[in-house]
Amino acid sequence: MFGTVLVANRGEIAVRVIRALRDMKIRSVAVFSDADRGALHVRLADQAEHIGPAPSAESYLRVDRILEAAKKHGAEAIHPGYGFLSENAGFAEACAAAGIVFIGPSAEAIRLLGSKTAARILAKQAGAPVVPGSEEPATNVDQARKLARAIGYPVLLKAAAGGGGKGMRRVNQESELDSAIRDAVSEAERAFQNGEVYIEKLIEKPRHIEIQIAGDHQGNLVHLGERECSLQRRYQKVLEECPSPFVAEHPEMRTAMGEAALKVARAAGYNNLGTVEFLADPSGNFYFLEVNTRLQVEHPVTELVTGYDLVQLQIRIASGEALPFAQKDVAWRGWAMECRIGAEDPDNQFIPSPGKIQQLREPSGPGVRLDSGVYPGWTVPLEYDALLAKLVTWGPDRNIAIQRLERALAEYGLTGIQTNISFFLEILGDPEFRAGNISTAFIPDFLARRKPPDDPPRELDVAVALAALAHFQTARVQPTSIAQVEASRWLAAGRNQLLGQV
Amino acid sequence: MKWQVAVDNRTIEIDFEQLSAVAEVEPGVYSVLLDGVSYEIRIIGMSNGYSAELGGRRFAVEVRDPRDTRNALRSSTRSGRQNVAAPMPGKVVRVLVNVGDSVDAGQGLVVVEAMKMQNEMKAARPGWVIEVRAGAGETVCAGDTLVVLE
Repeated sequence: MFGTVLVANRGEIAVRVIRALRDMKIRSVAVFSDADRGALHVRLADQAEHIGPAPSAESYLRVDRILEAAKKHGAEAIHPGYGFLSENAGFAEACAAAGIVFIGPSAEAIRLLGSKTAARILAKQAGAPVVPGSEEPATNVDQARKLARAIGYPVLLKAAAGGGGKGMRRVNQESELDSAIRDAVSEAERAFQNGEVYIEKLIEKPRHIEIQIAGDHQGNLVHLGERECSLQRRYQKVLEECPSPFVAEHPEMRTAMGEAALKVARAAGYNNLGTVEFLADPSGNFYFLEVNTRLQVEHPVTELVTGYDLVQLQIRIASGEALPFAQKDVAWRGWAMECRIGAEDPDNQFIPSPGKIQQLREPSGPGVRLDSGVYPGWTVPLEYDALLAKLVTWGPDRNIAIQRLERALAEYGLTGIQTNISFFLEILGDPEFRAGNISTAFIPDFLARRKPPDDPPRELDVAVALAALAHFQTARVQPTSIAQVEASRWLAAGRNQLLGQV
Repeated sequence: MKWQVAVDNRTIEIDFEQLSAVAEVEPGVYSVLLDGVSYEIRIIGMSNGYSAELGGRRFAVEVRDPRDTRNALRSSTRSGRQNVAAPMPGKVVRVLVNVGDSVDAGQGLVVVEAMKMQNEMKAARPGWVIEVRAGAGETVCAGDTLVVLE
């Protein structure tokens, strides 16, 4: 086993990996940019190294600086987390060239599965169902028109190198095709330096269901069941659960999707952890979407239901250990649900809300797990994504997991920046959500029918007013800082002068 | 003497004696017991009053001092001018208009990026651009005026 591992990431996932390393008595090395000197992952790690200015292109994406830090600190392996360099085949190769283990699949597997077109061909050949569509990127509009006609509208344009909804366009009819291709290609070129776009049949209101897989270097390959991630806003997942409420009603789907995922993984010669994503239609047909060759943000829901620590598993596999269990040992117990707590304003088009966290009370209690990357007094930087923490609950059934999530969200006291906590409370209270009637259209539909919240009972207003008045009194007696008082005196003097009163 | 506190624009009148129901349990965190019911409220100062949080719900609060004679409404003057301000701290990615341009309602003016999200500031009403205060690459604070329209 490794003695020292570098964590090439930041935020909650860096903290999550550092915790796994500490559980395993492995020294952890954090890396940080200028903006993250005081970040929680730096505070928690055993060792830390500065790798550059705040923009990620100059720090968390700098392969040379990260490898330098690894060598300096004697790290034998690097855990990339998710995002940043986690699905960068060049980084995996550079690690190998430097004699450092990349904790993830092989560079070949990352490259093969990173191209959506190549992955699709591979999946089809391996016998996994795929969405009807083009095998080759559409290079010109005439060719695209023919393809779209053959598939039948509505169709979806997707960037070959894409992710996160970038370079994706829905096309309802032929007249929209020209401009949609132009937009998708230019967006893909800007985001991924690769303008290749392909066309597929649009599945209406699908569910997003994915299978967690794990494989070792000894040739063992298992699946750990599904996660449903249908709740998405602008193609970004916001709430995930295990099991899928749909699969819970159609248990044969878990076996079928699990087998399809393993076929794809086997064909790609996959080892370490990965996720095979599928779309499922209301009749239970499912279609291969893509493979994520890394740890997923939403991995904790699988951990809570299967009992395995997926990050430890990644590290053990990378160090050469065999999977400590077989497929027949994998069992699913109860229900887990995760909310991605983000710095964004749900009452104002979800605009980002970076800034200083003034107060923070983190929820706890039975069935609650919080993977957080922040602390009170921390200034959430504007250079990185808005994810602050993942709040995950477990219960013996879906209803109890939801009840615990509602309790924990209400207990979560965070001020200074806006968060989406209140939005999750709205969703969890929605009868359609409670019934498990979800799809990737759920959040857009919910936002369209969402009503402004009712006025609270008067007692709540009175309590808030009393607290504010008490605060007003204290603040008046004890000015928060001398600088503020000086500033206001100076301002008052200036104002008086202007008004000719001095 | 009654104090007036506006909670999300609903006016609540408070007698000073009622403050005996409040205990500050942590800095800025208040426990309020009303008829035996327990509430916990977090308060922080904002530029235009306070922001309060109770059970995952947020409230905008303004305290009006009864001895303050200027406590009348802070009416927003509705002139023909339109200041387009940054809704969040961020970096200006693109400025889409120049001084002298005429703009339609809903037309994009400036693109601001924060936390990997780009947001386009739009004109609320048609008008002319009389001032551009933002330049590409600049960092702006929430509330900074980026463009002035008339």
